[in-house]
Amino acid sequence: MSTGASLTEAPAARPPRAAHYVVGDWQSVAFGTGPADRGRAEAGVAAAYASAGLDAPARYVWVPSPARGAVAAAVLAGHGDRLREAGLGDLVDLARGDLGGTPARASVLTAVRTRPWEAERTAACSEQGPEQWPRVWAETGGLLWNQVQSLVTRVRAAIGALAVQGPGGESGAGSSAQDEAETILRSATLDAVLGQHDAPWLALFETLGRLSGPLDGLAEAARSAGWWWPYEDLVILSERPSDLHRDEPGRLHRGDGPAMAYPDGFSLHAWRGMPIPPDFVDSLTGLTPGRISAEENAELRRVMLEIFGYDRYLAETGARPLHRDETGVLWSIELPGDEPVVMVEVVNSTPEPDGTRRTYYLRVPPGTRTARAGVAWTFGVDEADYHPEKQT
Amino acid sequence: MYRQGDILIMPVPEEAVPPSVRELPAAPRDGRGRMVLALGEATGHAHALTAPGSLLRVPDPLAPDHLHLPSGGRLVHEEHAAITLPKGWYRVIRQREYVPGAVRVVAD
Repeated sequence: MSTGASLTEAPAARPPRAAHYVVGDWQSVAFGTGPADRGRAEAGVAAAYASAGLDAPARYVWVPSPARGAVAAAVLAGHGDRLREAGLGDLVDLARGDLGGTPARASVLTAVRTRPWEAERTAACSEQGPEQWPRVWAETGGLLWNQVQSLVTRVRAAIGALAVQGPGGESGAGSSAQDEAETILRSATLDAVLGQHDAPWLALFETLGRLSGPLDGLAEAARSAGWWWPYEDLVILSERPSDLHRDEPGRLHRGDGPAMAYPDGFSLHAWRGMPIPPDFVDSLTGLTPGRISAEENAELRRVMLEIFGYDRYLAETGARPLHRDETGVLWSIELPGDEPVVMVEVVNSTPEPDGTRRTYYLRVPPGTRTARAGVAWTFGVDEADYHPEKQT
Repeated sequence: MYRQGDILIMPVPEEAVPPSVRELPAAPRDGRGRMVLALGEATGHAHALTAPGSLLRVPDPLAPDHLHLPSGGRLVHEEHAAITLPKGWYRVIRQREYVPGAVRVVAD
């Protein structure tokens, strides 16, 4: 009605954007690679300190990976000697170099991140109410949670594993000093602000219009950098990954190098989400069915089977099909100490230019009894409902 | 219900399309003006349509997409025969594989 009203009101906060744009943007942040935008990240950190009522940190210490950051945080927590006893002296020296001589003083994680984050979360939760809250989560953070969290879990585990494998990846004997070092490194990762990997919650907060407040600085740092550790006098900030390779369902996956790597070489190797040793794929030349069935680690065996080829494995072991119908053929490979690999062999309906038809294998739940049930499962449809009227 | 290789296209009644899906912005068309339902990982071949309409997708890579074809369309792919789709709403389901131990715990 009144055009003058808007002049007298306080300037309105920017209206929150629709959830799908917000989630898409934060998904890009979470899986972003390439050098951090250091200027923006440092400004974001300073803003986060300011909203916690603290002076900006006197020094911004940049490290190439969250692994280097975790070691530096562990050294600041007084665990340098313990890490050295576990054979991580080189990493401790690097951390001391990164940190320089001046003290960091106390961690301010609680003031900078935990407390404001919890306050916003509590306020948002009570504002939304018990019915709306899970719905908003499902449409925002929930869409990103599994993808991002599985990455975070893997990074944490790999940082802990530095203690038992050493930075070069060679596995040492698991001594108690190494176990202790693993615990120290893993807890150092829990003291980090996750930066880009806080994306699921930031997507929720932004959707609810809660980023232009106390969380603004945290969001800005998340858009621009990896994990970071805040202290009174300094902040340790990590770069983002230089490489990140995922398969279509979003799992870490790469056969010819690390699936995730940071600029200092800290990296994760994975095949369709499964952790594998760095040299594992290369070690599989000359693979035989015998070597596959002798592999005791079920996950590595699964990778071996995939790389070897199910069709070849079935042919070479003389396997017999469990069931056959017009949708395809159901196969099973029995494995000692593991559930069987049950697969449907599916034939493309459209012939190739040379008249042959391409076949492929898809793994289905071990209880599958018919080929039709298997194919229907791959599309999330009940066996009885699976009747395509046209199939090409 | 139609199947072209690794995608299944299921007609759905308009009223069964969730409001949250209808409010999504249409996924952008590719450089050739096509709606790309799925892109082959290895080959770059695509399940695609040039018809009028919109493809609606959520960021979860495992959630089905929705396709609205107000006047029908022809689904093409480099390796599969084309399929003519009548007008209407569809759920587009990507084929998935069983992964042992893939059950995950949700949220904090």
